[in-house]
Amino acid sequence: MTRTNQAIHITVDRKAFPAVADRPEQLVLRGVQLAVEEGSFVVLTGPSGCGKSTLLNIIAGLDSDFQGHVAFSHADPKLAFMFQTPRLLPWRTVEQNIRLVLGDDDAQATAKVAAILDRVGLSEAATAFPERLSLGMQRRAALARAFVVEPDILLMDEPFVSLDDPSADSLRALLIELWNRRPTTVLFVTHDRIEAVMLATRLVRLGGTPASIVQDSDVSLSPTDRLDREKVLACRLRLFENA
Amino acid sequence: MALDNQTIRTGRVGRGVIGSVLSGRLVWTIVSFLSLLVLWALVAALLQSRLFPGPVEVGSKFLSEAASGELGYHVGVTLARVAVAFLVAMLIGSAIGIALGRAKGADQFFDTWLIFFLNLPALVTIILCYVWFGLTETAAVLAVTINKIPNVAVTVREGARSLSRDLTEMAHIYRFGTWKTLRHVTLPQLAPFMAAAARGGLALVWKIVLVVELLGRPDGVGRQLYDGFQLFDVSMILAYAIAFILVVQLIEILVLQPIEARVNRWRR
Repeated sequence: MTRTNQAIHITVDRKAFPAVADRPEQLVLRGVQLAVEEGSFVVLTGPSGCGKSTLLNIIAGLDSDFQGHVAFSHADPKLAFMFQTPRLLPWRTVEQNIRLVLGDDDAQATAKVAAILDRVGLSEAATAFPERLSLGMQRRAALARAFVVEPDILLMDEPFVSLDDPSADSLRALLIELWNRRPTTVLFVTHDRIEAVMLATRLVRLGGTPASIVQDSDVSLSPTDRLDREKVLACRLRLFENA
Repeated sequence: MALDNQTIRTGRVGRGVIGSVLSGRLVWTIVSFLSLLVLWALVAALLQSRLFPGPVEVGSKFLSEAASGELGYHVGVTLARVAVAFLVAMLIGSAIGIALGRAKGADQFFDTWLIFFLNLPALVTIILCYVWFGLTETAAVLAVTINKIPNVAVTVREGARSLSRDLTEMAHIYRFGTWKTLRHVTLPQLAPFMAAAARGGLALVWKIVLVVELLGRPDGVGRQLYDGFQLFDVSMILAYAIAFILVVQLIEILVLQPIEARVNRWRR
């Protein structure tokens, strides 16, 4: 399969966690090659603990202890990362948390922050400290922070985990809305197969120990089909039939 | 339905204004303070000794010293020394603490040094500073600062060791840079440790400054206490001691507590 306009080209020949005390070295990833097309929504899935998050950290540059390389088409790509926990600064208000990721010389910063807060429905909570908000609202703030920088690449590591279904659904809808409004290359890690099918334009499944890519499929659901539970379930069955 | 057998809960608000004022902390502080004063007056009246003056004598000495300007001058001089030594020690001690908490190798290497300075008696530092740098203002403030730095460093190091890796990663991804990371990510996490260091530190600096003044300065509260000792003027010693306690309490209430409240306002 040839892909044009690759945003990221990832090659991880080998990634291992070094031996600690009585635990031997742990080989996590081997021979992972992935080319990500510009503007695609790639969902990385696979069993828990298989190395999905590790791969994301490698791409983000948070983990440089691996053999291989990560190449970006942009010279200096602007990244955003939505983590499993919101990782907001508890001693700064929601507004300040979002303002801080914008440059100090950004003249439009105040307007941008107000606009994104309005979009994610947090205008009322702008001056609240994050720990006074529900987890769902904190996640909204983290989502706003990720989008306000207008990233070239958006990395998401199970960002909607441990939310109740309605909250997770509304956050997914919000993500789709924000992404449609300002498309960007997304790498999204999840082990929730329904979530994977709902969001992905391309689905990459990791498996085995050490993990490598065991499946790589395009997901050709239309935007309306993605909101249709029946169609999503059917697509999930098709995609994961040999999983 | 009979109410007799039901438990009736009365809220604290229901006790009325007088009740809440009586149970207030302020009232207890005043009662406790007054009883200490009465006890002191009783013992002084029983002993009838020049060497154990009562509150009235000490009070009048306090007022005459204050009126002559002596008290204000010496307390001011001491306060200035405390402020400089405290600020310099907090700054250098925090920098060392952060560095040691972040770099494991440096921590292992300098740990012995820290233990050495931590256990070096304050008096030794003071004497050595005076011997090496003369009976100067710089030597005096330096001695206090050196005494205080290791305490700050050890406390802040504890905080630097427990810095959140999650938030550091977040700051890295969103390109906070060194200054922004320090101001918005690192320092707020260290704030409780620095507050603890400041509190313990201020108490320590107060005490050491007096010894430094006693040994080699012509002015300051420490010097006045020494003069009082030489003249066996116990009223003067107590008057300065009380002035000193008052100033320390004022700083605690007017400076330290508001800062702490502000730094902690985000906590639930």
